[in-house]
Amino acid sequence: MPEQTGILLRPLTEEGRTVAISGVGVAAPSLLLPVASINESWGRKGGRGQLAVCRSDEDTLTLAVAAAMRALHAGELSPERVGGLWWGTTRSPFAEGPAWSYVAAMLRLDSDCDGSILSGSPHSGIEALLAAVDAMKSGRVDNALVVTSDALIPALGSTHETACGSGAAAWLLSREGPAQLISTASSWEPVLDRYRGSTEVETRDAYDGRLFRDEIFLPIVSRTALALGAPTDTRWSTADPDGRLGSLAAKELSDDPPVSLGTRRQLGDTASAAAMLGASAALDEPGPLAIIGYGGGRATSILIEVDQPVAGAGRVEECLDKGQPATYTQVLRARGQLKPSGESVEMAVPPGSAMFVRDEREVLGLLGARCVECNTVNLPPSVHPSCPGCGGTKFDIQRLPTTGVVQTYVINQTMPAPFEAPLPLVVVDLSDGSRVQLQGADDGSDLAVGSEVELVPRRYTIERGVPVYGWKVRTLGDSQ
Amino acid sequence: MSWNRVSVVGAGLIKMGELFDQSYEQMARGAFDAAIASVDHGMDPKDIDAVFVATQRGTLWGQEGIGGNTVPSALGLNGVACTRIENACPSGSDAFRVGCMAVASGLHDVVLVIGVEKMRDKSSEEGLLARAAGGHPVYTRGESAPVLFAPFATRHMHDFGTTKEMLASVAVKNHHNGKLDPYAHFQYEVTVEQVLNAPEVCSPLGLLDCCPQTDGAAAVLITTPERAADYTAKPVQVAGIGIATDHPYLHEKDNFVGMSATVGASSRAYEMANLGPTDMDMAEVHDCFTITEILDIEDLGFFEKGKGGIASLEGETALDGSIPINTSGGLLAKGHPIGATGIAQLTECWWQLREEAGDRQVKLRSGNALQHNVGGRGSGVSVVNILTIAE
Repeated sequence: MPEQTGILLRPLTEEGRTVAISGVGVAAPSLLLPVASINESWGRKGGRGQLAVCRSDEDTLTLAVAAAMRALHAGELSPERVGGLWWGTTRSPFAEGPAWSYVAAMLRLDSDCDGSILSGSPHSGIEALLAAVDAMKSGRVDNALVVTSDALIPALGSTHETACGSGAAAWLLSREGPAQLISTASSWEPVLDRYRGSTEVETRDAYDGRLFRDEIFLPIVSRTALALGAPTDTRWSTADPDGRLGSLAAKELSDDPPVSLGTRRQLGDTASAAAMLGASAALDEPGPLAIIGYGGGRATSILIEVDQPVAGAGRVEECLDKGQPATYTQVLRARGQLKPSGESVEMAVPPGSAMFVRDEREVLGLLGARCVECNTVNLPPSVHPSCPGCGGTKFDIQRLPTTGVVQTYVINQTMPAPFEAPLPLVVVDLSDGSRVQLQGADDGSDLAVGSEVELVPRRYTIERGVPVYGWKVRTLGDSQ
Repeated sequence: MSWNRVSVVGAGLIKMGELFDQSYEQMARGAFDAAIASVDHGMDPKDIDAVFVATQRGTLWGQEGIGGNTVPSALGLNGVACTRIENACPSGSDAFRVGCMAVASGLHDVVLVIGVEKMRDKSSEEGLLARAAGGHPVYTRGESAPVLFAPFATRHMHDFGTTKEMLASVAVKNHHNGKLDPYAHFQYEVTVEQVLNAPEVCSPLGLLDCCPQTDGAAAVLITTPERAADYTAKPVQVAGIGIATDHPYLHEKDNFVGMSATVGASSRAYEMANLGPTDMDMAEVHDCFTITEILDIEDLGFFEKGKGGIASLEGETALDGSIPINTSGGLLAKGHPIGATGIAQLTECWWQLREEAGDRQVKLRSGNALQHNVGGRGSGVSVVNILTIAE
């Protein structure tokens, strides 16, 4: 086989066309699974560390929205001013469908917003970042929201199962900012590595661990990283499929362990989000920083020069520190790998109903109609031609706030599949005076009348194969 | 308001319960026969020239989209005018209201109002619980029946200091009354401790705070006062009727300590009857959950807002209290076959006013009784009917 070690190397910042990072946001799911509990379930001993896993109402899309909201908040950019949304995720929740549009709607971006979704391998996170940079360099957009997220379903009993984590990172790119993107290098080989066929649900590793390490991961990643010519004091954030490969790759590059080691230990392998997620906290400190994304036989490195702390970087750790311990059985059920027998209760309204065409943007974007006569806000607007307060018929459509206080609530303990008990339902008085009823996002044990809550993006159900998204209520932490 | 009077000349029901051995049609026939048998001077079924049938959930027994024609056929009245009324939990009491309109207008002379509901032909999971997947796919998702009422308990307890013991006292009282009612689904007493220690269904409500799912049927016969004389010397008159609506979503409520539909329906019924809450000798009210009865007795004007819990605890609503509530055992003990519920409540009022209620007979002072339902998405429909023995 002829030696093929070519590298595509190019600058990201040229005269008059700079690209900088002006805001950072991250998100992690609600459950934490000890690796040892997976091993124990399969009759194997040992296993260190933990993996972040989605509840049944979280997925790569809800994580993406949560991280992006924080990046916009940190970068102080209102949604209607976002020039483009680039989302990288190994596996979109819709094999074919409106995944990008749903994220854009939940973020309340304008209809003329640019962008794309990149998927197909864990390399897609880096691809999203580069696609956004290219759009900025071309002058198409003045800012860009880059989101990377993953929450894969691992094959049961596979080595991937003991590595598969989940999480999301979002970076807001602007012309000016405290951290500049300097250069990038890419390389590839036509190899399988992590794999899921088009008719398969679960992802698995294709190769023997040492074959993957010695012949695939380390050679491709090393040459791509070295090509950057990064300063010797550069901090590295690396893809880290098994929890050791990241450190091994970094050994050739730096005396220090990779800065991504913390998030890898906390969340497991976050796949397409790993490189950006691992570097997000490091954007809080000045100095050179490089990220390496890997997947599908491709590696890409990007050199960043951090001049000043990036907004939001200082809050990364607290945002990721939210998971609650879960058992292996809970995780299997949450991922849909353990299912009750029999038929589950169908929604009255099928996903193909015209109702969703009418009000999906209102529901995803949390839009309300404020009566111009009496100021009452009601939702969703499409079922309220008349104001419940005064009967008025003229409204201003508004983006509702995502914080409020509990007016009243219940915790339902008796729900048939596909519902899971305990299921809290909460009536919330939002901070603009509007009122909304939504499900609780966890077990509801910390709810009380008058307690402060936030609305978080969640997947309500998968109905006839179609995910249905909306907002749920969670007691306000300090991670807003 | 001027209207032609309506008299109730017969009423009856079947023993409520899990009637796995009876079809919808057989239950209807049983209630109809009981009502005909109750007519003092007898009634030829051919006298009936219209039927209004209340069935809320045809989907529970394979009769999606049925009209009113199932019932006349089952009753041997094929060909008679018949309309099905479906208006949530007040379906039965609303069918009664529509029947009264038919008589008062002169369009029909002798009207059968019958409520029939099969709640147990499907399992709980596929029955009422499946409702949780109905409505708006996000904003009402998970809204099974207790979710419509339990938030009011949370807030009533928060605002007024209402306790779980006060809620429990409603269940204890209604089970006591139900044991005295041979038609009740449950024929046993419960203690406050049993109610408090029952498994939680939907916080803050436990299993014994909730009515059961019950099969059942009930029927009343109404006519003009002139025709009533042919059938009985002890007719009961319809004194007032009220119906009111409220917004269907919980987030549209302006408070969670009362139900404006109940307030609206009762104020209309009181005004029509020229009577007030203190004129009532007893009331059959919608106690689908213990908290609902506490809300009802406040919203109907029997007690000040916020005082319903303590009034229940102190026995004000017992058979010998200042205003006996749910002498039949209520929905909590007698059961809640939705379309039949309102008609069964009217039957209890009819018995009480004719002093035929046996061991649970209340003392008549003014000769008036009130019947009430509230329900539907957001508890947004309420009907109140007031019966009287006054001329």
